[in-house]
Amino acid sequence: MELSLDRLTKHYGHKIAVDCVNASLKPGVYGLLGANGAGKTTLMRMLCAILEPTSGEVLLDGKEVTAMGAEYRNLLGYLPQDFGYYPNYTAQEFLLYFAALKGIPHKSARTRVRELLGLIGLGDVAGKKIKTYSGGMKQRVGIAQALLNQPRILVLDEPTAGLDPKERIRFRNLIADYAGDRIVILSTHIVSDIEAIADEVLLMKKGKLLSKGTVEELTRKVKGKVWELVVSPEEARSWQAKMAVANLRHEENKIALRILSDDKPAEGAVPCEASLEDLYLYYFGTEEGAR
Amino acid sequence: MNLFLAEHNKLWKRNGVKICVLLCFFYVVIVGNILTFQWFSFGSNDDATSSFGNHFDGYDMIKESQAYARTFGELTDETIQRMVRDYQRLKAEGKDREREWMDRGIIDNWLETLWPELKDSARYETMITYVDADQLTGFYERRQQAVEDFLKISGQTGGEQEYLLKMESKVQKPFRYQWVESWSQLLGSILADLGMVMALFLAIVLSPLFAGEWHSNTGGMILATRNGWRQAARTKIMVGFAFTLEFFTLLAGGMLTAQLFFLGFSGWDMPIQTIKLIAVAPINMLGAELYEYGFTLLGVIGYAGVVMLISAAVRNHILALLLSLFVVYGPMMISSYLPMGLQKALDLLPLVGSGTDIFRTNTFHLFGTYIWSPWLLLIVPVLLGLLCVPFAVKCWARKG
Repeated sequence: MELSLDRLTKHYGHKIAVDCVNASLKPGVYGLLGANGAGKTTLMRMLCAILEPTSGEVLLDGKEVTAMGAEYRNLLGYLPQDFGYYPNYTAQEFLLYFAALKGIPHKSARTRVRELLGLIGLGDVAGKKIKTYSGGMKQRVGIAQALLNQPRILVLDEPTAGLDPKERIRFRNLIADYAGDRIVILSTHIVSDIEAIADEVLLMKKGKLLSKGTVEELTRKVKGKVWELVVSPEEARSWQAKMAVANLRHEENKIALRILSDDKPAEGAVPCEASLEDLYLYYFGTEEGAR
Repeated sequence: MNLFLAEHNKLWKRNGVKICVLLCFFYVVIVGNILTFQWFSFGSNDDATSSFGNHFDGYDMIKESQAYARTFGELTDETIQRMVRDYQRLKAEGKDREREWMDRGIIDNWLETLWPELKDSARYETMITYVDADQLTGFYERRQQAVEDFLKISGQTGGEQEYLLKMESKVQKPFRYQWVESWSQLLGSILADLGMVMALFLAIVLSPLFAGEWHSNTGGMILATRNGWRQAARTKIMVGFAFTLEFFTLLAGGMLTAQLFFLGFSGWDMPIQTIKLIAVAPINMLGAELYEYGFTLLGVIGYAGVVMLISAAVRNHILALLLSLFVVYGPMMISSYLPMGLQKALDLLPLVGSGTDIFRTNTFHLFGTYIWSPWLLLIVPVLLGLLCVPFAVKCWARKG
């Protein structure tokens, strides 16, 4: 199975949301990384065939996905960024409704829903209305909704938003278990999630696909550009103003700064091992909305 | 079927839907029928300034009125004279309750229409109280003249007049007579307003059918499912129509039950001319009632189709609601300011026209033939609504 993005472009008037993206996705977990407004959600909506590209196409094994219609959507699981629900529905009712939309026969839908509710840890509260759930519980219902039809292509837009650290770990494990020979594409701002589960990372900036590769391949790009410099608290402020500082750590009366710079920033700076977070900051540090 | 049941269940699960149905039922069946029969319209009169001043004895009054009317049988010069004499006698004897049994308003209307020369404009009382009963002769001849005069005044001459008079010639004479007032109230007001009231609640219930999915942020998720495009849209539309039928059945069932309880079957075979003398259609009360129910049913189905198209075409559910209300109440508001031709065209929109056209002489002149307006008012709205269905499906499937 191969999902290909061929010169995929989306314009909203004069604004270019996605700009000629080419990529080939084979089974595995893909992390989509980019600042707010980078075009991640637009790209994901086009991947799900619910947004028509201005030009270019999405192909599954050479077939255009919109033309495949229900056949393609049958392979798809999608969790949008702002997961919506019906307040008066219980989790069980909500999932059964989506099971009907996914064409799952009622009897097997009941079994599948029960199984999924157990998997996401909501088995005990399945009969309670979703409006009474916490943000994290609602998000888990959304994830279960995406997994209902055991999709071959799973598209998750910010799936870990609202989850506490324990839930995030549970989610990562769930996706890692699930992925197997499936294509999982997830976007998130939480770099550590991508670092933990993504086989490959797609970096997006201003609608363009900047880079694609494994975490190691990508972090190699900032190798030799990450430095640690120990300074006084007064100096730390001026360093933060003039350089991209990824982290600062207090050490007795001093502060250790993690600085991103093409050149050695100061005499006392020592090179460090680069991480995906450094890469993110390196590319998006100056962009509004980057975290 | 699975999806239909899930979607149907979803619609009825909304609190707004339950509240709308209950409110409408309360207004139409409880207030508009039961309380109208028992209190506001047919309760014996105690306070002439307000219907609320009536006694809560409508059921007894209705039965007494029906029994009294049954003594007349057919409408002839003699029966009209007897009615007028009876009324004047009862008034002189101060028998107010017995006087209320009579079709006073209806008879007065006949007198004013057919014997205008007997009206004394200097008197404030209604004609029935003072007119000389012996002078009330030639009912059917005078009625025939009144129909022809009305057509002439309305500019309905030549072929159109011929068409309408031919229709009129099939009206059976002499007219069967039973108590008319209840039928007049039923066909002229209660049933005639049903569609207009239902439109408000249908707009509230059906306008979020598609647009509401964007409001609740579920639109994208639905569109990404196997059945999320055309199948989901078709199912939603079927559910919309099913709801419309259920809603109509609930109200019509309630209304018919109330009608049967209070009125029974009495007078079902009277011609509609007893309500409106210059009506030309050879239809009796039962036929008119069936027509008005049919008009409302087909109208609400047509309107449901239009509302669902708006809902599928507009993402904002508030805008969808406002547009849905506008398509029915907008034309109603502006219609009277427009030329006659445009008024008649607007009447063809779902629920904009009225089922009471059955009492009128409006016609459409299409392809060289005259068509009595009620037939087109029955068919065109539902066709318009059904025509909206494929567009609604298309709009939803393109919404991503």
